Amino acid sequence: MSSAASIHPSDQLLFTGYDPGSFYDELIAPSGQPRACAAGMYEQLATMPLEVFEERRKLADLSYLVQGITFTVYNDGRGTERLFPFDLVPRIIPRSEWDVIERGLAQRVMALNLYLQDVYGPQRILKDRIIPRNLVFSCKHFRREMVGINVPREIYIHVSGIDLVRDSRTGQYLVLEDNARSPSGISYVLENRLVMRRTFPRAFEVSEVMPVDHYPSELSRILRSLSPRTGERPVIVLLTPGLYNSAYFEHSFLAQEMGIELVEGRDLVVVDDVVYMKTIHGLTRVDVIYRRVDDDFLDPLAFRAGSLVGVPGLINAYRAGNIALANAIGTGVADDKAIYAYVPAFIKYYLGEDPILQNVDTYLCSNPSDLCYVLDHLPELVVKAVGESGGYGMLMGPSSDKRTIEDFRERLVADPRNYIAQPVIPLSRVPSFDPAIGGMSPRHVDLRPYCLYDGEKVTIVPGGLTRVALQRGSLVVNSSQGGGSKDTWVLRGEE
Amino acid sequence: MLSRIADSLFWIGRYMERADNTARILDVNYHMLLEQPPNTYKLRWDPLIAVTGERSRFYKTYQEASAQTAFDFLGFCEENPNSIAQCIVNARENARTIRDRISRELWEDINSLYHRVTRMRDDDESLSRFCDAVKRGGHRFHGVCDATLARDEGWHFVEAGCVLERAEMTARILDVHYHQLLEGILNESRSHLWMAVLKSVAAYEFYKRQYGQIEPTKVAELLLLDARHPRSVRFNLSALQSSLHAISGSVPGTYANEAERLTGKVHERLTYDSIEEIFDGGLHNFLTDLQETCRNIGEQVTRAYFHYAVVA
Repeated sequence: MSSAASIHPSDQLLFTGYDPGSFYDELIAPSGQPRACAAGMYEQLATMPLEVFEERRKLADLSYLVQGITFTVYNDGRGTERLFPFDLVPRIIPRSEWDVIERGLAQRVMALNLYLQDVYGPQRILKDRIIPRNLVFSCKHFRREMVGINVPREIYIHVSGIDLVRDSRTGQYLVLEDNARSPSGISYVLENRLVMRRTFPRAFEVSEVMPVDHYPSELSRILRSLSPRTGERPVIVLLTPGLYNSAYFEHSFLAQEMGIELVEGRDLVVVDDVVYMKTIHGLTRVDVIYRRVDDDFLDPLAFRAGSLVGVPGLINAYRAGNIALANAIGTGVADDKAIYAYVPAFIKYYLGEDPILQNVDTYLCSNPSDLCYVLDHLPELVVKAVGESGGYGMLMGPSSDKRTIEDFRERLVADPRNYIAQPVIPLSRVPSFDPAIGGMSPRHVDLRPYCLYDGEKVTIVPGGLTRVALQRGSLVVNSSQGGGSKDTWVLRGEE
Repeated sequence: MLSRIADSLFWIGRYMERADNTARILDVNYHMLLEQPPNTYKLRWDPLIAVTGERSRFYKTYQEASAQTAFDFLGFCEENPNSIAQCIVNARENARTIRDRISRELWEDINSLYHRVTRMRDDDESLSRFCDAVKRGGHRFHGVCDATLARDEGWHFVEAGCVLERAEMTARILDVHYHQLLEGILNESRSHLWMAVLKSVAAYEFYKRQYGQIEPTKVAELLLLDARHPRSVRFNLSALQSSLHAISGSVPGTYANEAERLTGKVHERLTYDSIEEIFDGGLHNFLTDLQETCRNIGEQVTRAYFHYAVVA
């Protein structure tokens, strides 16, 4: 029985009957008592009448609706706007744990960047046979055109989002995947915090939560440093595919926060290898593009012809050194899910260090012996397509029916290079409001911290986006698959 | 400022104003007809559809113009790009696209209006409550713009969109109703009709104070030539001229592009022509020209600022 029930035996309160169960619970210890980091928050919530909580929940939802913080789902041919469900119970990380995560992520981002410099440069790592040449060159997002091009200040991955999970069995954080192209979600981190501060101001008074709102200015500092024109005040823009992109809210949010222009491909024009934007008073030169458009769609002349969101001639301007792009082109060769298996080796090879954060065991289906194992154990494994993101092209073995599994079996045999498999990790959980029971239930979570790299050091806003699988028992946290999010608190004090 | 953003700001102004004007026309007509004999019904609702310039589209969907079909068509119809709901959808779409460039308050205001109006469609709300919500929405829009937008080029594009739309709408309302009177269809309740027209543009009280008795020429004079009433064509074209000058930096008496030249020219006429001179030349002709000029100005603004050719 939980402690809430023993303090208030007569009332039905939010934590009445809460059972952390056999998984690691981020806030509640197995005894039913709150963990030290969660004590302040717990005190607020455990005594809060359901009506009060419900009222705050409605206010929070309304605030997202009024602000139009929605994402678009595509099911019926026309996009439908949905709220990204927000759960009011924060995920809380003690400072000592965060310090380890932060060092581990910084190490990983540094290594990934060195790997990209190498792959698009001298290719030492291939010559030293640390990673098979074929595996690298067969990546869907490897860009041959980038070999030998000098990118500004040798930074490839300015912004990355690295997905972490905590394994309930060991209590350790593991890296689940790297996102080194254009990870989204940071706007939810900032907005969730805003809503939480308004909804539970008192909880912030008792817990010392580290701020997150310096992210846009940090990103903007890095973007400014990339400008190829020295001496001039650089013109920076954020390139979006447009209103119908599911992350449009974020693009617009970041542009506003950084005070830069939000542009679409049709706003830009390249004349003599220089990029300009079309303004009401003629053309204005652009120096840096924070692009949220995939490589494939950036320039219809260089990559996918017929792309309407791109800018014809952009790649030539990039090659000529007249424009900086963040992230650089071709970073997908670092976050391919098969390459992922080698990141610990990169850390050793480039930095001479042991990885601080471990990978999840991964079977590369391109290895015949791994493939054999995977085919024999499909119902126990998670299978992922290597070049996809957002929970698409994925098989959750334990929760899939026979037909789906057999379907994946055929796909694996037909195209093994395209798949990896991992054991199912028993993700840790956080108490989350369950409207069906009018109280808290544990729900599985992951964590995506956002890392900024300026060429010298990695900056990470404390916490990141906690995604939560709001359906009972579900391990899938993607927004497209019914997931929601939580505010993430890193506490200032030492434990 | 990016051309695309200026384009969106201009159209936010136009769509919001169009929604507001359509709601006014709908509301006033509805209330006027409550006291009229039923046999004039059709005669009254048909011109209303004509005001919005969507007559042929209307009769593709509906057999007859009645309060119910007009409300449906002008209020919500998704096939009618100029229905109130569609105007608000479009205004919101534009605002959402450029939300980083407008105040948070303005975006939240337009977004809330959108949700309110969408709910009303689902709730089968009464015509007058719906129109009321839209008109209030229009007032709030102007209030929020006024109180939260910097007076930079962006503001002038919103303003230009509003006043151009309003000038054109006022001319159109006058044209359609004047036409009816000319044909003698509604002879017996002439003054009721003109009162309704005045009310639809919120000029009734002002008219009464200025002129007293209802006379068609005086109504036309107020709606076309008055320098002070915020819904007269002259007032709005004067505001348009100021905004266009502010954007280009032209000094008074000069022009930097075709939009400014056309605006200056028509404003000159509205300033120095008397209402008698206009009637001598035929009011209908004058109003037709006026609407044509407004359309041209809109196109010329587009050509000067939003879609100009880039020489590579």
